[in-house]
Amino acid sequence: MKLWKIFRFEFTYLVQRITTWLYGAVLLLFTLVMNLLISPGDGIYANNTFHITAITVIGGLIWLVIGAAIAGEAAARDVKMRMHPLTFTTPVTKRDYLGGRFLAAFAVNAILILSLPLGVLLSFYVPGLDGEALLPFRPWAYLSVYFLIALPNTFIATALQFGLAALSRQVMASYLASLLLALVAQVFAVATAKLFGNWDLVKLVDPVGVAGIIGSDLATWTASEKNTRLVTLDGLFLWNRVLWLSVAIGTLVLTYVRFKLATVVTDSWWSRFIWRTNVQDKTAAEPAVAKATGIRVPSVQRTFGVATYLRQTLRIAWISFTKLARHPVGLTGVGAIALVSAIFGYRIMTQFDIPMLPVTRQVLAYLTPPVGNLSTPWGIIPLMIIYFMGELVWQERDAGFSDLADAAPVPEWVFLTGKFLGLGLILIAWLVLMMAGGIAMQLGLDYDGLEIGLYLQTLFGLQLIDYLLFALLALVVHVVVNQKQIGHLVMLLVFSLMAFPSLFRVEHRLLIFGADPGWWYSDMRGFGPTLGPWLWFKVYWIAWTLLLAVGAGLLWARGREQRLKERLKVAQRRFSRSTAWITLLALGLILSLGSFIFYNTNVLNEYQSSADLAERKAEYERRYGQYRNTPQPQLKAIKLHVDIYPERQHVKIRAAYTLVNTSTLPIDSIHVGSVSGIAFSEVTFNRPAAAVRIDNELIHHIYALKQPLRPGDSLQLNFIVHYQQHGFGNSSTNTLVVKNGTYFTNYDLMPAIGYQPYRELTDAVIRKTYKLAARPVIPSLYDREARKKPASTDQATFEAIVSTVKGEVAVAPGVLLRTWTAGDRRYVHFKTDTSIGGEYAILSGKYRVQEKEWNGVSIRMYYHPDHALNIDRMLQSVKASMAYYTEQFGPYPYRHFTVIERAGNGGGASADASIIYYGEQYSLMNPDDGPDGFDLPYYILAHEVAHQWWGLSRLTPANVEGGGVLIEGLAVYSGMQVLEKAYGERHLRRYLTYLHSSYELPRSLASASLLQANEDFLYYRKGGLALYALSKYLGKEEVNGALGSLLQKHHSGALPLPTTLDLYQEIQQVTPDSLNYLLNDLFKKNMYWRLKTEKLAVAQTKAGQWQVTMNVQAQKVLIDSIGTEHEMPMNDWLEVGLYEKGADKPLYLQMHCIQSGKQTINVTVPRKPDRGGIDPNFLMIDLRLDDNMVQLEEE
Amino acid sequence: MDNHPVGLTIRNVSKTYPNGVEALNNISLDIPPGMYGLLGPNGAGKSTLMRTLATLQEPDEGQLFLGDIDMVNQKDAVRQTLGYLPQEFGVYPKATAESLLDYFAVLKGITSRAARKETTEVLLKQTNLWDKRKQKLGGYSGGMRQRFGVAVALLGNPRLLIVDEPTAGLDPAERVRFLNLLSELGEASVVILSTHIVDDVSELCTNMAIINQGQILLEAQPLSAVAALKGHIWRKLTDKQDLHALKQAHPVISAKLLSGRTLAHVYNPEMPGNGFELVEPNLEDVYFSTMAGHIGNQKREIAR
Repeated sequence: MKLWKIFRFEFTYLVQRITTWLYGAVLLLFTLVMNLLISPGDGIYANNTFHITAITVIGGLIWLVIGAAIAGEAAARDVKMRMHPLTFTTPVTKRDYLGGRFLAAFAVNAILILSLPLGVLLSFYVPGLDGEALLPFRPWAYLSVYFLIALPNTFIATALQFGLAALSRQVMASYLASLLLALVAQVFAVATAKLFGNWDLVKLVDPVGVAGIIGSDLATWTASEKNTRLVTLDGLFLWNRVLWLSVAIGTLVLTYVRFKLATVVTDSWWSRFIWRTNVQDKTAAEPAVAKATGIRVPSVQRTFGVATYLRQTLRIAWISFTKLARHPVGLTGVGAIALVSAIFGYRIMTQFDIPMLPVTRQVLAYLTPPVGNLSTPWGIIPLMIIYFMGELVWQERDAGFSDLADAAPVPEWVFLTGKFLGLGLILIAWLVLMMAGGIAMQLGLDYDGLEIGLYLQTLFGLQLIDYLLFALLALVVHVVVNQKQIGHLVMLLVFSLMAFPSLFRVEHRLLIFGADPGWWYSDMRGFGPTLGPWLWFKVYWIAWTLLLAVGAGLLWARGREQRLKERLKVAQRRFSRSTAWITLLALGLILSLGSFIFYNTNVLNEYQSSADLAERKAEYERRYGQYRNTPQPQLKAIKLHVDIYPERQHVKIRAAYTLVNTSTLPIDSIHVGSVSGIAFSEVTFNRPAAAVRIDNELIHHIYALKQPLRPGDSLQLNFIVHYQQHGFGNSSTNTLVVKNGTYFTNYDLMPAIGYQPYRELTDAVIRKTYKLAARPVIPSLYDREARKKPASTDQATFEAIVSTVKGEVAVAPGVLLRTWTAGDRRYVHFKTDTSIGGEYAILSGKYRVQEKEWNGVSIRMYYHPDHALNIDRMLQSVKASMAYYTEQFGPYPYRHFTVIERAGNGGGASADASIIYYGEQYSLMNPDDGPDGFDLPYYILAHEVAHQWWGLSRLTPANVEGGGVLIEGLAVYSGMQVLEKAYGERHLRRYLTYLHSSYELPRSLASASLLQANEDFLYYRKGGLALYALSKYLGKEEVNGALGSLLQKHHSGALPLPTTLDLYQEIQQVTPDSLNYLLNDLFKKNMYWRLKTEKLAVAQTKAGQWQVTMNVQAQKVLIDSIGTEHEMPMNDWLEVGLYEKGADKPLYLQMHCIQSGKQTINVTVPRKPDRGGIDPNFLMIDLRLDDNMVQLEEE
Repeated sequence: MDNHPVGLTIRNVSKTYPNGVEALNNISLDIPPGMYGLLGPNGAGKSTLMRTLATLQEPDEGQLFLGDIDMVNQKDAVRQTLGYLPQEFGVYPKATAESLLDYFAVLKGITSRAARKETTEVLLKQTNLWDKRKQKLGGYSGGMRQRFGVAVALLGNPRLLIVDEPTAGLDPAERVRFLNLLSELGEASVVILSTHIVDDVSELCTNMAIINQGQILLEAQPLSAVAALKGHIWRKLTDKQDLHALKQAHPVISAKLLSGRTLAHVYNPEMPGNGFELVEPNLEDVYFSTMAGHIGNQKREIAR
């Protein structure tokens, strides 16, 4: 019963400590604050299972720090307090000692973690919090979360923390266990999942549950599931628990075996983890001769002054650095990540899974996430900064010689600065390791265009400053708090504020420690104008840290006076003249820089918090919503004179709009409004008109025409837009007009005609808060009025004369009529043949141009000279696409086509009428175009070319549900055919796998039907897959014919506008009755198939043929809008395929009629198959593709 | 810096800990240059006073002056001339004696590399650690560690040397060496030695104070204190069972075992009675007499 005694003593000791109670309070407070901050989504009650689980799991992360303190104390306090000679020599067995201590720590931790679900429960019933409707109290919701997630996690974590601390005999080693667990959760699990593309791994590996539970299964729950479902122990979650509990028990066993109730004789604590005979320390006895000679102490010169203090600072910095460098994870942690990055560089340097040229900028983007970003492996750096800063601040006290050091003639600021520099040195070492990893990554990928200067500038200029600011904050917090564990905790809270400021509703970067408006670097633009604002913000924060450092110097705990009261008393004395000057300097800097930044962000530029933005949108609807259905003339022609001044970030646009009354009623007023908030001026009409409302706040003008515009009549509207970037804003530095990288669209600068519904608030909850009438995000497919409105009514021809500086080329849609130079400006004149709708962009940069021709269409390609890698590939794709679509769907409407690189680091491409823009990252994609590769860039361009038929100025669907299917779904389908034509079935299959793969990502299965599709996932993925399946069932020609017919029946912008109903009808025309069910399943239902081949057996007949027997299982389920599954009877035609070894071509591929449930298929084939099954080409929407086919079982 | 020795003045210093323990109660002392012994039982307030002198603590009330340096408000000035050997201290177990001593030399303002090398070498040799200088401090024995502390305290010729219970961990030979060293240092600076070992003081100190329960019971020169006690201390050999009766009858200041019997010392200005023998008093008798309240500032009512 000694175990029980030890347990009771330890438990009482821990419970009596005030910090234990403080920890509990922190956890309780966390749940309350989170409940205040989080608002549940539509149809979800506040006390839903997801909320309870998420808060418990995320609170568990905070507990990891707390638990480490508890477990570490229980395991190693005796040694820390040097009491172990007493305890270890008592007749206590190892079992009782370790068992009692561990159980006590576990019990205390289990009680502490209980405060999470308990706090969540209480937070719903705290009076005055909110009057939201709650679900009835469900004890199991809390109990299951506690017993299935929280308690096992506590056991696992406590076991690891306890084991590490006991074996290393260091209390702080338990934090290492916490760090490991948090790392495994955040980084390792997600990284492995990403690397191997298997998200199930996260569920299995993540011990804490942030990624594995919250980010995985629960995130896919529907509203009703969140309200009603409970966490259950099954599937991978069960295995996760089994795996980690075994790890925990293993750790405990190891601890028991390796722990010794003895004084440590080796000085390496790693040696206690490995099997080794102990080496007796060589402390030879000395001869006990009384040499009674006195000591002559040498007389030395001592100096005190700034030079000495600097030398002391450096010495302290060096000893701090060596301490950290020798720490088990001091250099190895970052080094290991750098090494792994270098090894897996080929997986990291990808875009959409396609290898990319590892240019330095690309590698640096990987190496330099923002400090608050936890979703990359480098997220451990701030955590290590917090931990190591604590170690340094407590270095002397932990080693026990603080009395010696404190009595030394060293000013406080020398200690402070020395330790800070010590951490700075380790940061530099880390960055060197990261740089080495980055370079190794580049060299490993056979890329040798290293830009060392850029590495140095980015890592040691930009990133180091961010880390140093954070480190200094950690230093100050540890000094002021003066309690290591609580210091860690406070820093974690501060860190979460920095990482998730929006969660705390702080948006202005003057208020978020270390924040800046962000910087970027692109090959075309360089750093652009981002470094200046970045630097202003950093100097501002450096001033703050200076002030904080002064505070830390004043409160630096020295000697035995450690309580705050005593330290405040000492601080008064320490407040010297120079301290006062530095404080004044810091305050002056903060005030002046803060004012300067504020002047830039809030006076020169408009500062809008998200609440301001929402209010602005709401106000727009309140004021002008009444004009929603007021007839307005259609924009028929756009003529622009654009002068771009990239150096000055200035552009001046003189515009002439030709407006035509295409309605049947006379129009007496014209609404002109700016979407972006950029003002326009000098508005004139070519007929008498008077301004009746000039709203400069929302930038919406109303002009009354003296004579109404009769149907069919037109008028001209002239105005000027001046855009000048003044100073800098709060968020990302504006990038419309930049040296060698100007890119702006009509939405960025130009006003639009009429009321713009897309300026309204769409989120249902936010609309409710602003008391706006409920409206669907997208109008219903069956809303007949809405079906009369396209996304944009503009159908305009476009003409522009654009000038820019001499070194750059300006580009706009259209055929290039003329270029000339006047003075130091270069002019271009573009004009389109016909209407381009209403969307366009204007660019300027130092482009290289290639001109080609295809069937009378002039193709102009503009690109950054260093980004020529894919130009030929793109040209091939454009030509092939043009040819194929013309043949299948009808002619291309223009005689001009432009493909242009858009400055900035986007990886994708986008299209306007007759022009395609692609991001700089696109141009770095380096795909394998061999038979086993996948030429995604080729496909992307084919997709964008397809938009010249689907969407833009051609097929203009009504702005209702399903509209996106007509634009994106058809473009995906068309692009796939061009890819297949150029590269064959293997590339196509890779693309299909890519489309299917997003079904595997954690997402809810409850979604709308294709007809009423309302999200990108349905537009692109399901739309593409459904049309591909139909082309296989009905024949490609039939489906393409139906699409061509759809296009011919609808003229751009003319009523009736096409919808998915028209598409459905066209396809139905070519669908035999026997397959009507399939069309129905794919377009009208949210249907999933579960197809599986269980067994494949063969037998050779006498004739030498092979009799094949396949046991298959099939199921078809309908998932309704709340996620409930309904099994549907099957009588479906499905492909059955057999393949020979190593062959792509099927030995046998036929449609079979498959019923629900298990069945046997018998087929006779001439040669022996190697594998086979149902739906081998993945035509159906099936969440598990890997079981469609099986390998032949060898007897 | 002139090497003119200065004294230490302590005026009305009091310190009460947050838990209510009154560690120092209105203490005033004048400590001249030379060796000064601070004698007292465990928990008497010695270490509190020593830490206060070492600038690690501040008194609630009272002043301390080293020469004309205000030790509370001019800590930096004190530290520049201070050597301190705490009662217990740790080291970086991974560091070698040489490197850590060098580190402290820098902290103590010895910036010249050559001077530092020379000083550390001499100190390591003098403290008999030279052969072990490359060894990690984690492997040092208690005595070696204590000697290392001595070396740290002696860095830079301190004019004020505070040594708190220094001889506790030293073997007899080391103790002799250390005490000799202290006495030499005492010629030019203030050396304050706190101890509960009476012999340390009697062998070394020209001045001393006895402290108990936060108060100075006696401030004296050991020799004259012993001389003053002459003729006041009597001894008697008695049996263990009779000791109680003896204590009832006489002011016994100390009793120790001697060859199985008990030797009691009794304070009495006159012959206490039969069987008592006058003894030549030593410092131990001074100490016990003071503790028992027969002499010193706090003469108590003597229980009869």
